[in-house]
Formats: sequence, C-alpha cells, structure tokens
Amino acid sequence: MRPALLGEMTPETLMEELGAAPTKALAARRLARLGMPTRKSEAYRYFDIEPLMAHDWEIFRNEASAEITETEGQIVITDGRVTALPKGVEVQVGCSDAIDLDGVHFDPLYYLSHLMSDEVISIRFKNDAKVTLVHRFTQPGKLLAYRTAIYLDANTHVQIDERFEGEQACGALILSGSDAFISRDATLTLIRDETLKEGDYLPVFSHRIKVDSQALCRLHSFDFGAGSGLQLIRAELHEQARIDADHLLYATDHARRGTVSQIVHIGQSSASNQRAKNILAEKARGIFDALIKVEHSGKYTKAHQNSKAILLNDGAYMASKPQLEIYIDDLEASHGSTTGQLDVAQLFYLRSRGIAKEEARKMLILAFANELIDALEDEMMRQRLHASFETAYWGMTNVTCMETCHGCEDLAAESAAK
Amino acid sequence: MSNVVMDIDNLHARIGAKEILKGLNLQLEEGKVHAIMGPNGAGKSTLSKAITGHYDIEVTDGEIRYKGQNIVDWEPEDRALEGIFLSFQNPVEIPGVNNAYFLRTAVNAKRKHQGLEELNAAEFLREMKALVQELGMKPEMINRSLNEGFSGGEKKRNEILQMMMLQPDLIILDEIDSGLDIDALRAVSEGINKMKDGKRSFLVITHYSRILDYIEPDYIHVLKDGKIIKTAGPELVAELEEKGYGAIEEA
Repeated sequence: MRPALLGEMTPETLMEELGAAPTKALAARRLARLGMPTRKSEAYRYFDIEPLMAHDWEIFRNEASAEITETEGQIVITDGRVTALPKGVEVQVGCSDAIDLDGVHFDPLYYLSHLMSDEVISIRFKNDAKVTLVHRFTQPGKLLAYRTAIYLDANTHVQIDERFEGEQACGALILSGSDAFISRDATLTLIRDETLKEGDYLPVFSHRIKVDSQALCRLHSFDFGAGSGLQLIRAELHEQARIDADHLLYATDHARRGTVSQIVHIGQSSASNQRAKNILAEKARGIFDALIKVEHSGKYTKAHQNSKAILLNDGAYMASKPQLEIYIDDLEASHGSTTGQLDVAQLFYLRSRGIAKEEARKMLILAFANELIDALEDEMMRQRLHASFETAYWGMTNVTCMETCHGCEDLAAESAAK
Repeated sequence: MSNVVMDIDNLHARIGAKEILKGLNLQLEEGKVHAIMGPNGAGKSTLSKAITGHYDIEVTDGEIRYKGQNIVDWEPEDRALEGIFLSFQNPVEIPGVNNAYFLRTAVNAKRKHQGLEELNAAEFLREMKALVQELGMKPEMINRSLNEGFSGGEKKRNEILQMMMLQPDLIILDEIDSGLDIDALRAVSEGINKMKDGKRSFLVITHYSRILDYIEPDYIHVLKDGKIIKTAGPELVAELEEKGYGAIEEA
C-alpha cells in the first residue's frame, strides 16, 4: 500500500485507496461534511494535528491470522487483532452498525478511523463481568487504524480496565476508539490508564458512548507522561441515563494531551457530571475542551462540569474550555474552570511540620490527583492507579496501604493486642 | 533570665510595604510559659510567622537566635526539624492529604533528622490512636483529609495532636482558644499541660486571659505597635483585664 498523506486525501480517494466496503459510505459522507482536520478545526484547535496530517504514513494492515489464547479475564488486541480472550465474553469481528445509528460525531477522525478499519471488533457482554482490555501496539512509525464496539445487554454491570502497551511502536499513529452501547439499566465502568513517554506511539482515540434509558456510564481516564495524545468523546444520554466522567491528566515535557468531549442530553431527567484535573509540567499543554449540550427533549437534566489545572512551571499551559449549550429552561447545570499554581498556604503548613519542600510539593500534587483516583470504587484499581500516577510523576512509587485503605488500623490494633 | 531558648533582638519585619514589627525584643526561657497579649493589629501573629519563616513576612533587621543560632534565613522545615512548632490560628485545609499519612511523614522526617529509625505504620497508628482518644477526637479523623471539613474545635485539637506527636522544644500557640467551646478548651489545655516537662518552652499568643486560666503562664509580655512594651509576672493579667491595653505604657 502506498503511503497516505491524510491531509490531502478526500473521503472518495480514501474509499478507493483503502478499498473500503460500500457499507462505509456513510462514514465517508460524514467525513466529507466535517472535512479533514486542520489546526483551525474546533476539535483540534489546541492539538498539533497538522504534522500528523502532513506526514506520509505507511498504513499497517494486520494480515496475520492470530491464534486466540484463552485467558482469565483479559482481552488482548494486538495491532488491531484479537489475540486473547477470557471465557464467557462474546467477541465478533466484522462489520458493525456502530456508525449507522442516530448519533453524529463531531470528530472527523472518528469517521476516518471507521473508514480505515478493516473490521470492527465487537465485544458483547450478556452477563456481569470484570475484564481487562489490553491494546498492544508493535509497529513503529506506522499508522494503525482499528475500532472496537462494546455492547452491554440490559441489566448487565461491567467493569473494563483498559490498558495500553506500545513500547515497540515508537512514532506510530494510532487512530482508534470505542463505540459503547449501554442498554437499559446496565452499568459500564470504563477505566482507561495510559502513560506515554516522549517518542512513544501517538494515540488519537475517538469514542462514542450511547447510554440508554436508566443506564449508567462511569468513565475514568488517566493520561500520564511526556507523550502526546488526544481522546475525543461523544456521549448521548437517554431518559434517566447518567454519565460520570473523570479525567486526570499529568503531562510533562512537550506533551500535547487531553480530552475533547460532547455530552448530549437527549432524554428527560438524564444526568452528567464531568470533572477534569490537570497537572502540567515543563512545556506541556493540557486540553479540556468540553461541551455539554441539552436538547429540547432533555427536560429536568442535571449537568455539571468542572476543570481544575495546576501549572508546575512557567512554560506549562492549560487550554480549558468548558461549555454549556442549553435549549430548555427546566434543568440544573453548572460549569467552571480554574488554573493556578500550588497553594502557598498549604505548602507552608506542610513545611512548618518539618516536611521538606519537594516532599510537600509532591504531597500536594498527589492530593490534587487523589480526588479522582479515590473515586474508583475498586480498591485494587485505586491502588494500581495511585502507583501508576506516582511512577509517572515521581519516577517511583511509594504507595502504602496507609494512603489508600484503612487496613493499617487493623494492623495497629493487632499489634497493640500483642 | 537563665537558659534562654530563644532571643529575639531588635526584630523589624514587614508584610508587603507595611512594617509590623518595629524593633521587637523578647527572650524566651527554657521550660517556661510566656504569654504575649496585645490589642488587634499589634503584631502578635506576625511575630509567630516571623519565628516560623512564613512566606508573607520579610525580616528587614534584627535577629532571632534559637538555641544560639540566628534562624532568620532558615527554611521553615529546618526550623520545625530543630523543634519549633506553631499551632496555627486558622489551620489550612488540605483536601486529598490523609491526616495519618501527613503526620507520619512529619514524624518520620523529624526522627530521621534526629538520627532515629522511622516508625512503621502500625507503631505510628497505635501512638496516634491513643492520642486521638485522649484528646476526645473522633477516630475517623485519622483517615480524613487534613483539616478538611473539620469544625473550629476539631482543627485546634488536630493541631494539639500534631504537637503531641512531634514533641517540639518550642511551642507557639497562636490564638489557640479562639473558636473553642469550654469542653474543647479544657481538652486542648490538658494536652498542652501534659507537654510541660520543665525543658519545653511555650509562647502563648492571645487576646484574652481565658486560656491563661488553664495554662498558667510564667511571664506576660504586652505587645503593642510592633514592640514588647511591658514584661511582668502572671499578676499582669488581672491588671490588663481591669484597665485594658490602653493603660499600659511603654516602660
């Protein structure tokens, strides 16, 4: 396959070049309407998209027929192909109707990734489950595009711990993302943890989440490190549906990293609560460009959105743009954004107790991050994310149970009893 | 005075462009309780901040000699590690910092500074829980965020808890009685009195004499317009109560 210069391609030439199936014509039409992203595109205003669009990409097509191994609770997707599956999870690989449904995504690369994906990996949960979804990338310098679709049947409760491994794929561009369909009364807890080093693969993950009536989506994204990447999310909430979206970002070096999102309240009495915490060091740029839209049909909506950022250096920058677009009167909504530095009064208090300045700074930064890590219900996940954040921030982890649980009290009681 | 633990000599300090301390002289004796009283705006809190190295304060002249060394240029943590403790008038809330984790870090920083082995979690919590009970604090405060959502009384008890865990040599109590009900005042005072060992020194900063009914002072210093204008024994409290600060003139 010839190298692809994305910025110069039209949807038609892409269809032809990629040999895309006619079923993807809808994606092509929508991409044509949005146009290929440029630095003037709303969704990519704060992200350096142009070098990616101007690069001659070799598109990687995974032709290997991978053997699928059976695991305990782990789904592994290697370069866009399923290579491991747990028992009891139904996975279908093939065409998906994901984009043929009613939602319209704001991100052109959502449609581009659909167009470029050979197949959509559809994962269906018919029962309650707790799984780890590992995305593994091995091809350096290439463009890899694939999509996953996640279906939760009614009344199911699923936790997906989504992780990324791509040490070998330095310089690659990954166009991917999930279409999640959460049926009535179901709950999806999606925990994404992605630490990127400078020079690692660059992820542009575009997601669509449809939350059906009385269903719940808990989204927790943890983006750490010196590498760049962007997640673009469109969520649709139907009657009495709810989404709680937390985004913790720690970006350093020259990273351009963050979240662009649209949460659309379609049904009555739906609720959303979106919280972003951003810690930016050196010359990093954080992005939180988030719109909450309440449609005419979204009476009695409750929508709250907040972004807080700490700049650790003069060169760090936060592009925070929380927005509300409301077409009705009967609702409760708020949004806010703050950007600042570490609180000097808090820093002094800790130092006045003999804690060294660097250690005190670390404690305050961890404290800032802890609110979103502690929001995880799963104790093991909390501990893992505490460790993950400390490792990204501090280069090592010193997490003890004292910070994350109450087990030490029992230990102390036992010790006292002796 | 013999065995002076702190000797403040001709201290001038300002906040921004405004000079608050204007040549303050004060000696604190080892093992004694010194009370500083004075009207609003006299510079009482500024003095406590100057001693602990607060970022708001710029010392423009004079010396603060502690255990024989001028500490004016020391970092706040170095002053604390050498035994200076300030109980804050309004302790700051720090959401996300676990109270026990914070205090264990502080205790172990001090132990390390003293060349002692660090306390493990179990040892530390055993000690902390005993003191929490002694101070009449709720056990759940151990695992709450530092001062977050604490009432005024809970914050002050938490300050005393830190003081008792850190075992400092010079304790500065800035308006420790403000916002306390009678029970809390008694619990806090008992905690302070237990710390008296004949070696440890106290600097009690207060507007009112009420706290001095519980913590008996050895010396009363009156601070007015940035200077100590009178030093006397505990009998001065009654005079101040009767006549007010306005009647006290510089000696």
